[in-house]
Amino acid sequence: MRTRSLIACLLWMLTMASAVFAGSRASKDAPVAPVVQAAEADNMRIEGERRYHANCGRCHAAPQKFPPRMMATVLRHMRVRATITDEDRRLILFYMTQ
Amino acid sequence: MFLSVSRWTTILAIVRCGVILLVVRIKAAFRSRKTVLQMGMGVLFWLLLTGVSISQTETDKPVPILTGNIGTFSFVTGGHNVIDTQVNPVLLVPVGDKWLIESRAEFEGEFQRPPGGGPYGGPVDKHVDYAQLDYIANRFVTVTAGRFLTPFGIFNERLYPVWIRFLQPDPLIYPIRTAPSDGLMFRGGFAVSPKANMNYAVYFSATRIGIDSVDSERHVGGRMGFFLPGPRLEVGGSWQRTLQDYRKTAFGLHTGWQPAKLPMSIRAEYAHAYEGSGYWAESAYRLSQIHVWQKAMRRTEVVARAQQFFVGAIGASAEADFDLPDVNMREADFGVNYFFRDGLKGIASYGRQFSSEGNFNQWSFGLAYRFLLPLGRVSGAQGVQ
Repeated sequence: MRTRSLIACLLWMLTMASAVFAGSRASKDAPVAPVVQAAEADNMRIEGERRYHANCGRCHAAPQKFPPRMMATVLRHMRVRATITDEDRRLILFYMTQ
Repeated sequence: MFLSVSRWTTILAIVRCGVILLVVRIKAAFRSRKTVLQMGMGVLFWLLLTGVSISQTETDKPVPILTGNIGTFSFVTGGHNVIDTQVNPVLLVPVGDKWLIESRAEFEGEFQRPPGGGPYGGPVDKHVDYAQLDYIANRFVTVTAGRFLTPFGIFNERLYPVWIRFLQPDPLIYPIRTAPSDGLMFRGGFAVSPKANMNYAVYFSATRIGIDSVDSERHVGGRMGFFLPGPRLEVGGSWQRTLQDYRKTAFGLHTGWQPAKLPMSIRAEYAHAYEGSGYWAESAYRLSQIHVWQKAMRRTEVVARAQQFFVGAIGASAEADFDLPDVNMREADFGVNYFFRDGLKGIASYGRQFSSEGNFNQWSFGLAYRFLLPLGRVSGAQGVQ
Protein backbone atom coordinates (compact mmCIF):
# COMPACT_ATOMS: atom_id res chain seq x y z
CA MET A 1 0.00 0.00 0.00
CA ARG A 2 2.86 2.34 0.88
CA THR A 3 4.61 1.51 -2.42
CA ARG A 4 1.43 2.31 -4.27
CA SER A 5 1.13 5.70 -2.62
CA LEU A 6 4.75 6.42 -3.29
CA ILE A 7 4.42 5.61 -6.97
CA ALA A 8 1.21 7.63 -7.18
CA CYS A 9 2.99 10.64 -5.70
CA LEU A 10 5.88 10.13 -8.07
CA LEU A 11 3.55 9.99 -11.05
CA TRP A 12 1.74 13.10 -9.93
CA MET A 13 5.04 14.96 -9.64
CA LEU A 14 6.01 13.76 -13.11
CA THR A 15 2.69 14.99 -14.42
CA MET A 16 3.19 18.40 -12.90
CA ALA A 17 6.74 18.57 -14.21
CA SER A 18 5.54 17.66 -17.70
CA ALA A 19 2.90 20.35 -17.57
CA VAL A 20 5.41 22.95 -16.47
CA PHE A 21 7.82 21.75 -19.14
CA ALA A 22 5.11 22.01 -21.79
CA GLY A 23 4.42 25.59 -20.73
CA SER A 24 8.04 26.61 -20.72
CA ARG A 25 8.70 25.05 -24.16
CA ALA A 26 5.71 26.85 -25.57
CA SER A 27 6.76 30.20 -24.26
CA LYS A 28 10.22 29.69 -25.79
CA ASP A 29 8.74 28.77 -29.16
CA ALA A 30 6.31 31.66 -29.19
CA PRO A 31 7.50 34.50 -31.43
CA VAL A 32 8.77 37.38 -29.41
CA ALA A 33 7.59 40.84 -30.40
CA PRO A 34 10.49 42.61 -32.07
CA VAL A 35 12.16 45.13 -29.82
CA VAL A 36 13.13 47.97 -32.10
CA GLN A 37 14.16 51.53 -31.55
CA ALA A 38 11.69 54.27 -32.42
CA ALA A 39 13.60 55.45 -35.49
CA GLU A 40 14.04 51.92 -36.74
CA ALA A 41 10.37 51.26 -36.15
CA ASP A 42 9.46 54.30 -38.22
CA ASN A 43 11.66 53.10 -41.06
CA MET A 44 10.18 49.64 -40.88
CA ARG A 45 6.69 51.08 -40.90
CA ILE A 46 7.40 53.23 -43.96
CA GLU A 47 9.07 50.36 -45.76
CA GLY A 48 6.28 48.02 -44.71
CA GLU A 49 3.65 50.40 -46.09
CA ARG A 50 5.52 50.69 -49.38
CA ARG A 51 5.77 46.94 -49.73
CA TYR A 52 2.17 46.52 -48.65
CA HIS A 53 0.93 48.70 -51.52
CA ALA A 54 3.36 47.16 -54.02
CA ASN A 55 2.64 43.53 -53.15
CA CYS A 56 -1.01 43.45 -52.10
CA GLY A 57 -2.01 45.72 -54.99
CA ARG A 58 -0.76 43.15 -57.50
CA CYS A 59 -4.01 41.24 -57.01
CA HIS A 60 -6.55 43.10 -54.93
CA ALA A 61 -7.54 46.36 -53.29
CA ALA A 62 -5.64 47.03 -50.10
CA PRO A 63 -7.54 45.48 -47.18
CA GLN A 64 -8.04 47.02 -43.78
CA LYS A 65 -5.95 46.08 -40.76
CA PHE A 66 -6.88 43.08 -38.66
CA PRO A 67 -5.67 41.96 -35.23
CA PRO A 68 -2.04 40.75 -35.17
CA ARG A 69 -2.82 37.05 -34.80
CA MET A 70 -5.12 37.17 -37.83
CA MET A 71 -2.65 39.19 -39.87
CA ALA A 72 0.06 36.64 -39.08
CA THR A 73 -2.11 33.89 -40.57
CA VAL A 74 -3.16 35.94 -43.59
CA LEU A 75 0.45 36.80 -44.39
CA ARG A 76 1.58 33.21 -44.03
CA HIS A 77 -1.16 32.36 -46.53
CA MET A 78 0.07 35.12 -48.85
CA ARG A 79 3.66 33.94 -48.44
CA VAL A 80 2.52 30.70 -50.07
CA ARG A 81 -0.26 31.85 -52.41
CA ALA A 82 1.29 35.04 -53.78
CA THR A 83 4.93 33.93 -53.27
CA ILE A 84 5.81 37.17 -51.53
CA THR A 85 9.30 37.14 -50.08
CA ASP A 86 9.95 36.44 -46.43
CA GLU A 87 11.25 39.97 -45.92
CA ASP A 88 8.13 41.45 -47.53
CA ARG A 89 6.00 39.30 -45.26
CA ARG A 90 7.90 40.44 -42.18
CA LEU A 91 7.75 44.16 -43.01
CA ILE A 92 4.13 44.11 -44.14
CA LEU A 93 3.19 42.26 -40.93
CA PHE A 94 5.02 44.90 -38.92
CA TYR A 95 3.21 47.70 -40.74
CA MET A 96 -0.19 46.01 -40.53
CA THR A 97 0.06 45.37 -36.82
CA GLN A 98 1.14 48.83 -35.71
CA MET B 1 -8.40 21.79 -35.23
CA PHE B 2 -5.58 24.17 -34.48
CA LEU B 3 -2.67 22.62 -32.69
CA SER B 4 -0.27 25.24 -31.41
CA VAL B 5 3.31 24.44 -30.41
CA SER B 6 2.21 24.40 -26.79
CA ARG B 7 -0.51 21.91 -27.64
CA TRP B 8 1.99 19.68 -29.43
CA THR B 9 4.31 19.77 -26.43
CA THR B 10 1.32 19.01 -24.26
CA ILE B 11 0.51 16.01 -26.41
CA LEU B 12 4.12 14.88 -26.21
CA ALA B 13 3.95 15.20 -22.45
CA ILE B 14 0.78 13.16 -22.42
CA VAL B 15 2.44 10.46 -24.49
CA ARG B 16 5.42 10.57 -22.16
CA CYS B 17 3.21 10.10 -19.13
CA GLY B 18 1.33 7.35 -20.93
CA VAL B 19 4.58 5.46 -21.45
CA ILE B 20 5.45 5.90 -17.80
CA LEU B 21 2.03 4.63 -16.79
CA LEU B 22 2.44 1.65 -19.08
CA VAL B 23 5.84 0.79 -17.63
CA VAL B 24 4.48 1.07 -14.15
CA ARG B 25 1.57 -1.12 -15.17
CA ILE B 26 3.83 -3.74 -16.67
CA LYS B 27 5.92 -3.85 -13.54
CA ALA B 28 2.76 -4.60 -11.66
CA ALA B 29 3.30 -1.77 -9.27
CA PHE B 30 -0.43 -1.28 -9.40
CA ARG B 31 -2.91 -4.03 -8.98
CA SER B 32 -5.94 -1.89 -9.63
CA ARG B 33 -6.63 -1.01 -13.27
CA LYS B 34 -9.22 1.49 -12.10
CA THR B 35 -6.62 3.52 -10.23
CA VAL B 36 -4.40 3.67 -13.31
CA LEU B 37 -7.33 4.73 -15.45
CA GLN B 38 -8.37 7.44 -13.04
CA MET B 39 -4.85 8.74 -12.78
CA GLY B 40 -4.42 8.67 -16.55
CA MET B 41 -7.62 10.64 -17.01
CA GLY B 42 -6.40 13.12 -14.41
CA VAL B 43 -3.11 13.52 -16.27
CA LEU B 44 -4.91 14.10 -19.57
CA PHE B 45 -7.31 16.59 -18.08
CA TRP B 46 -4.57 18.54 -16.35
CA LEU B 47 -2.31 18.70 -19.38
CA LEU B 48 -5.08 19.68 -21.77
CA LEU B 49 -6.15 22.43 -19.42
CA THR B 50 -2.56 23.58 -19.22
CA GLY B 51 -2.30 23.57 -23.00
CA VAL B 52 -5.47 25.61 -23.39
CA SER B 53 -4.44 28.19 -20.85
CA ILE B 54 -1.02 28.55 -22.46
CA SER B 55 -2.36 29.00 -25.98
CA GLN B 56 -4.86 31.59 -24.80
CA THR B 57 -2.18 33.78 -23.28
CA GLU B 58 0.00 33.90 -26.40
CA THR B 59 -0.80 37.04 -28.30
CA ASP B 60 1.43 36.96 -31.38
CA LYS B 61 0.87 33.47 -32.68
CA PRO B 62 -1.15 33.05 -35.84
CA VAL B 63 -4.70 31.97 -35.23
CA PRO B 64 -6.80 29.71 -37.48
CA ILE B 65 -9.03 31.68 -39.80
CA LEU B 66 -12.19 31.02 -41.72
CA THR B 67 -12.28 33.37 -44.66
CA GLY B 68 -13.68 33.32 -48.16
CA ASN B 69 -16.31 35.05 -50.21
CA ILE B 70 -19.97 35.06 -50.97
CA GLY B 71 -21.35 36.31 -54.23
CA THR B 72 -24.62 36.50 -56.02
CA PHE B 73 -24.78 37.54 -59.64
CA SER B 74 -27.18 37.75 -62.48
CA PHE B 75 -25.66 36.87 -65.86
CA VAL B 76 -27.78 37.70 -68.87
CA THR B 77 -26.30 36.24 -72.06
CA GLY B 78 -28.23 36.72 -75.29
CA GLY B 79 -31.35 37.51 -73.28
CA HIS B 80 -31.09 34.35 -71.16
CA ASN B 81 -30.77 34.99 -67.44
CA VAL B 82 -28.76 32.79 -65.06
CA ILE B 83 -28.60 33.59 -61.34
CA ASP B 84 -25.26 32.47 -60.01
CA THR B 85 -24.91 32.27 -56.23
CA GLN B 86 -21.76 30.99 -54.65
CA VAL B 87 -20.03 30.55 -51.34
CA ASN B 88 -16.30 29.86 -51.24
CA PRO B 89 -15.10 29.24 -47.69
CA VAL B 90 -11.35 29.12 -47.13
CA LEU B 91 -9.92 27.52 -44.02
CA LEU B 92 -6.43 28.48 -42.90
CA VAL B 93 -4.86 26.57 -40.03
CA PRO B 94 -1.30 27.54 -39.12
CA VAL B 95 0.64 24.91 -37.20
CA GLY B 96 3.83 25.89 -35.45
CA ASP B 97 6.09 28.39 -37.15
CA LYS B 98 6.43 26.76 -40.56
CA TRP B 99 3.28 24.86 -41.41
CA LEU B 100 -0.01 25.87 -42.90
CA ILE B 101 -3.03 23.75 -43.70
CA GLU B 102 -5.31 25.48 -46.19
CA SER B 103 -8.41 24.47 -48.02
CA ARG B 104 -11.07 26.06 -50.18
CA ALA B 105 -14.43 24.62 -51.06
CA GLU B 106 -16.88 25.91 -53.61
CA PHE B 107 -20.64 25.76 -53.43
CA GLU B 108 -22.10 27.25 -56.55
CA GLY B 109 -25.69 27.23 -57.70
CA GLU B 110 -26.64 28.20 -61.23
CA PHE B 111 -30.34 28.85 -61.33
CA GLN B 112 -32.40 29.56 -64.42
CA ARG B 113 -35.96 29.26 -65.64
CA PRO B 114 -36.86 26.05 -67.50
CA PRO B 115 -37.51 26.45 -71.27
CA GLY B 116 -41.28 26.41 -70.84
CA GLY B 117 -41.24 28.95 -68.03
CA GLY B 118 -41.58 28.48 -64.31
CA PRO B 119 -39.57 29.19 -61.17
CA TYR B 120 -35.79 29.43 -61.16
CA GLY B 121 -33.99 26.19 -60.40
CA GLY B 122 -30.82 24.33 -61.13
CA PRO B 123 -27.97 22.27 -59.80
CA VAL B 124 -25.66 23.24 -56.96
CA ASP B 125 -22.08 22.29 -57.64
CA LYS B 126 -20.01 21.34 -54.59
CA HIS B 127 -16.32 20.57 -54.71
CA VAL B 128 -13.01 21.15 -52.98
CA ASP B 129 -10.77 23.48 -54.96
CA TYR B 130 -7.74 22.75 -52.85
CA ALA B 131 -6.78 21.01 -49.64
CA GLN B 132 -3.08 21.31 -49.11
CA LEU B 133 -0.37 21.17 -46.52
CA ASP B 134 2.36 23.79 -46.83
CA TYR B 135 5.75 23.56 -45.22
CA ILE B 136 7.79 26.77 -45.36
CA ALA B 137 11.20 25.12 -45.35
CA ASN B 138 13.23 28.30 -45.64
CA ARG B 139 13.12 31.66 -47.38
CA PHE B 140 13.63 30.03 -50.77
CA VAL B 141 11.41 26.97 -50.70
CA THR B 142 7.91 26.10 -49.62
CA VAL B 143 6.78 22.52 -50.09
CA THR B 144 3.10 21.90 -50.80
CA ALA B 145 1.42 18.51 -50.79
CA GLY B 146 -2.16 17.52 -51.47
CA ARG B 147 -4.67 19.00 -53.87
CA PHE B 148 -3.60 22.44 -54.97
CA LEU B 149 -4.55 25.06 -57.54
CA THR B 150 -2.46 24.55 -60.64
CA PRO B 151 -0.10 27.50 -61.03
CA PHE B 152 -0.58 27.99 -64.76
CA GLY B 153 -0.77 31.74 -65.34
CA ILE B 154 -1.94 33.97 -62.51
CA PHE B 155 -5.73 34.08 -62.79
CA ASN B 156 -6.37 30.63 -61.38
CA GLU B 157 -4.25 31.00 -58.27
CA ARG B 158 -4.49 34.67 -57.43
CA LEU B 159 -7.35 36.39 -59.24
CA TYR B 160 -10.15 33.83 -59.16
CA PRO B 161 -12.06 34.86 -55.97
CA VAL B 162 -15.12 36.94 -56.77
CA TRP B 163 -14.09 39.76 -54.42
CA ILE B 164 -10.74 40.06 -56.21
CA ARG B 165 -11.52 39.73 -59.91
CA PHE B 166 -12.23 42.89 -61.89
CA LEU B 167 -14.99 41.30 -63.98
CA GLN B 168 -17.14 38.39 -62.88
CA PRO B 169 -17.30 36.35 -66.11
CA ASP B 170 -14.30 34.01 -66.37
CA PRO B 171 -11.79 34.73 -69.13
CA LEU B 172 -12.34 32.51 -72.16
CA ILE B 173 -8.96 30.82 -71.76
CA TYR B 174 -9.38 30.22 -68.02
CA PRO B 175 -10.02 26.44 -68.36
CA ILE B 176 -6.70 25.87 -70.14
CA ARG B 177 -4.55 23.74 -67.83
CA THR B 178 -6.09 25.03 -64.61
CA ALA B 179 -7.89 21.98 -63.22
CA PRO B 180 -6.68 21.21 -59.68
CA SER B 181 -3.52 19.15 -59.31
CA ASP B 182 -3.09 16.30 -56.85
CA GLY B 183 0.53 15.86 -55.98
CA LEU B 184 3.54 17.79 -54.81
CA MET B 185 4.77 21.31 -55.47
CA PHE B 186 7.87 23.31 -54.62
CA ARG B 187 7.53 27.07 -54.74
CA GLY B 188 8.92 30.26 -53.35
CA GLY B 189 9.66 33.92 -53.77
CA PHE B 190 12.85 35.74 -52.90
CA ALA B 191 14.82 38.85 -53.80
CA VAL B 192 17.43 38.34 -56.50
CA SER B 193 18.55 41.96 -56.26
CA PRO B 194 17.39 45.05 -54.35
CA LYS B 195 15.17 45.89 -57.34
CA ALA B 196 13.79 42.50 -58.33
CA ASN B 197 12.06 39.55 -56.74
CA MET B 198 11.81 36.18 -58.36
CA ASN B 199 9.03 33.68 -57.79
CA TYR B 200 8.70 30.15 -59.02
CA ALA B 201 6.60 27.01 -58.73
CA VAL B 202 7.45 23.51 -59.89
CA TYR B 203 4.88 20.76 -59.51
CA PHE B 204 3.70 17.38 -60.59
CA SER B 205 0.26 15.90 -60.37
CA ALA B 206 -0.11 12.18 -59.86
CA THR B 207 -3.80 12.21 -60.70
CA ARG B 208 -6.27 14.80 -61.79
CA ILE B 209 -9.94 14.43 -61.30
CA GLY B 210 -12.48 16.70 -62.88
CA ILE B 211 -12.47 16.19 -66.63
CA ASP B 212 -14.33 12.94 -67.13
CA SER B 213 -13.41 12.32 -70.74
CA VAL B 214 -9.71 12.44 -70.03
CA ASP B 215 -9.88 10.31 -66.87
CA SER B 216 -7.21 10.89 -64.34
CA GLU B 217 -4.16 12.66 -65.62
CA ARG B 218 -0.56 12.98 -64.69
CA HIS B 219 1.25 16.15 -65.55
CA VAL B 220 4.27 18.16 -64.63
CA GLY B 221 4.72 21.89 -64.87
CA GLY B 222 6.20 25.06 -63.61
CA ARG B 223 5.91 28.81 -63.50
CA MET B 224 8.50 31.50 -63.04
CA GLY B 225 8.06 35.22 -62.69
CA PHE B 226 9.86 38.39 -61.78
CA PHE B 227 8.39 41.28 -59.84
CA LEU B 228 10.03 44.69 -59.89
CA PRO B 229 8.75 46.50 -56.78
CA GLY B 230 9.90 49.93 -58.01
CA PRO B 231 7.80 50.17 -61.17
CA ARG B 232 5.42 47.52 -59.74
CA LEU B 233 5.79 45.42 -62.84
CA GLU B 234 5.44 41.67 -62.94
CA VAL B 235 6.22 39.36 -65.85
CA GLY B 236 6.35 35.61 -65.99
CA GLY B 237 5.71 32.42 -67.84
CA SER B 238 4.21 28.98 -67.26
CA TRP B 239 4.51 25.58 -68.88
CA GLN B 240 2.88 22.24 -68.36
CA ARG B 241 3.20 18.83 -69.97
CA THR B 242 0.68 16.04 -69.66
CA LEU B 243 2.30 12.68 -69.01
CA GLN B 244 -0.39 10.50 -70.47
CA ASP B 245 -3.06 10.48 -73.19
CA TYR B 246 -2.15 13.11 -75.73
CA ARG B 247 1.13 14.14 -73.98
CA LYS B 248 1.21 17.72 -75.12
CA THR B 249 3.03 20.71 -73.76
CA ALA B 250 1.27 23.98 -73.02
CA PHE B 251 2.81 27.30 -72.19
CA GLY B 252 1.60 30.67 -71.04
CA LEU B 253 2.74 34.20 -70.34
CA HIS B 254 1.45 36.67 -67.80
CA THR B 255 2.09 40.23 -66.78
CA GLY B 256 0.78 42.80 -64.35
CA TRP B 257 1.51 46.46 -63.76
CA GLN B 258 0.29 48.94 -61.15
CA PRO B 259 1.76 52.35 -61.94
CA ALA B 260 2.65 54.08 -58.68
CA LYS B 261 1.32 57.48 -59.79
CA LEU B 262 -2.04 56.27 -61.01
CA PRO B 263 -4.77 54.32 -59.19
CA MET B 264 -4.73 51.83 -62.01
CA SER B 265 -3.97 48.17 -62.52
CA ILE B 266 -3.26 46.38 -65.78
CA ARG B 267 -2.82 42.65 -66.23
CA ALA B 268 -2.83 40.15 -69.03
CA GLU B 269 -2.37 36.47 -69.78
CA TYR B 270 -1.67 34.40 -72.85
CA ALA B 271 -2.02 30.62 -73.07
CA HIS B 272 -1.19 28.20 -75.84
CA ALA B 273 -2.17 24.55 -75.59
CA TYR B 274 -3.26 21.59 -77.65
CA GLU B 275 -6.86 22.23 -76.65
CA GLY B 276 -6.82 25.91 -77.60
CA SER B 277 -5.09 29.20 -77.19
CA GLY B 278 -5.87 32.81 -76.55
CA TYR B 279 -5.30 35.85 -74.41
CA TRP B 280 -7.01 38.36 -72.18
CA ALA B 281 -5.94 41.82 -71.10
CA GLU B 282 -7.77 43.91 -68.55
CA SER B 283 -7.45 47.15 -66.71
CA ALA B 284 -9.08 48.77 -63.71
CA TYR B 285 -9.00 52.46 -62.85
CA ARG B 286 -10.12 53.82 -59.48
CA LEU B 287 -11.75 57.23 -59.93
CA SER B 288 -10.09 58.73 -56.86
CA GLN B 289 -8.41 61.45 -58.93
CA ILE B 290 -11.70 62.97 -60.00
CA HIS B 291 -12.52 65.96 -57.86
CA VAL B 292 -16.30 65.85 -57.94
CA TRP B 293 -18.30 63.60 -55.61
CA GLN B 294 -14.99 62.51 -54.15
CA LYS B 295 -16.42 60.20 -51.53
CA ALA B 296 -18.26 58.17 -54.14
CA MET B 297 -15.52 58.41 -56.74
CA ARG B 298 -12.90 57.01 -54.39
CA ARG B 299 -15.06 53.92 -54.08
CA THR B 300 -15.71 53.52 -57.78
CA GLU B 301 -13.63 51.55 -60.23
CA VAL B 302 -14.12 51.29 -63.97
CA VAL B 303 -12.83 48.18 -65.68
CA ALA B 304 -12.38 46.85 -69.18
CA ARG B 305 -11.24 43.56 -70.68
CA ALA B 306 -10.45 42.40 -74.19
CA GLN B 307 -9.95 38.73 -74.99
CA GLN B 308 -9.79 36.22 -77.78
CA PHE B 309 -9.89 32.43 -78.01
CA PHE B 310 -8.78 30.12 -80.82
CA VAL B 311 -10.00 26.53 -81.04
CA GLY B 312 -7.21 24.00 -80.68
CA ALA B 313 -6.30 20.83 -82.52
CA ILE B 314 -8.63 18.61 -80.50
CA GLY B 315 -11.61 19.67 -82.57
CA ALA B 316 -14.73 21.63 -81.81
CA SER B 317 -16.69 18.71 -80.35
CA ALA B 318 -14.04 17.99 -77.70
CA GLU B 319 -13.71 21.59 -76.57
CA ALA B 320 -16.83 21.32 -74.44
CA ASP B 321 -15.10 18.66 -72.33
CA PHE B 322 -12.67 21.35 -71.27
CA ASP B 323 -15.36 24.03 -70.78
CA LEU B 324 -13.86 25.91 -73.70
CA PRO B 325 -15.80 27.54 -76.56
CA ASP B 326 -16.21 25.26 -79.58
CA VAL B 327 -15.58 28.08 -82.06
CA ASN B 328 -13.13 30.93 -82.30
CA MET B 329 -14.40 33.79 -80.19
CA ARG B 330 -13.70 37.40 -79.32
CA GLU B 331 -15.13 39.34 -76.43
CA ALA B 332 -14.96 42.85 -75.03
CA ASP B 333 -16.25 43.74 -71.55
CA PHE B 334 -16.72 46.97 -69.65
CA GLY B 335 -17.78 47.29 -66.06
CA VAL B 336 -18.11 49.33 -62.91
CA ASN B 337 -17.28 48.14 -59.41
CA TYR B 338 -18.41 50.08 -56.35
CA PHE B 339 -16.76 49.33 -53.01
CA PHE B 340 -19.32 49.90 -50.27
CA ARG B 341 -16.66 49.02 -47.72
CA ASP B 342 -13.55 46.87 -47.51
CA GLY B 343 -14.57 43.46 -48.77
CA LEU B 344 -18.02 44.37 -50.09
CA LYS B 345 -18.51 45.51 -53.63
CA GLY B 346 -21.30 45.85 -56.11
CA ILE B 347 -20.57 44.99 -59.73
CA ALA B 348 -22.15 45.73 -63.08
CA SER B 349 -20.73 44.94 -66.48
CA TYR B 350 -21.58 44.73 -70.14
CA GLY B 351 -19.79 42.60 -72.70
CA ARG B 352 -20.23 41.49 -76.27
CA GLN B 353 -19.16 38.17 -77.69
CA PHE B 354 -18.32 37.76 -81.37
CA SER B 355 -18.15 34.33 -82.98
CA SER B 356 -19.36 32.37 -86.00
CA GLU B 357 -22.23 31.10 -83.84
CA GLY B 358 -23.55 34.62 -83.49
CA ASN B 359 -22.89 37.77 -81.55
CA PHE B 360 -24.31 38.12 -78.06
CA ASN B 361 -24.60 40.73 -75.36
CA GLN B 362 -23.59 39.68 -71.89
CA TRP B 363 -24.73 41.65 -68.88
CA SER B 364 -23.86 40.98 -65.27
CA PHE B 365 -24.95 42.51 -61.98
CA GLY B 366 -24.31 41.44 -58.44
CA LEU B 367 -22.66 41.67 -55.07
CA ALA B 368 -19.43 40.14 -53.82
CA TYR B 369 -18.46 39.97 -50.17
CA ARG B 370 -15.28 38.78 -48.49
CA PHE B 371 -15.48 37.59 -44.90
CA LEU B 372 -12.69 36.90 -42.42
CA LEU B 373 -13.37 35.27 -39.08
CA PRO B 374 -10.88 34.13 -36.45
CA LEU B 375 -11.34 30.61 -35.09
CA GLY B 376 -9.62 31.40 -31.86
CA ARG B 377 -8.91 34.20 -29.50
CA VAL B 378 -7.30 37.28 -31.03
CA SER B 379 -5.69 40.15 -29.25
CA GLY B 380 -6.56 43.78 -29.88
CA ALA B 381 -9.86 45.20 -30.97
CA GLN B 382 -9.16 46.40 -34.46
CA GLY B 383 -11.89 46.10 -37.01
CA VAL B 384 -12.93 42.54 -37.58
CA GLN B 385 -15.58 41.96 -40.15
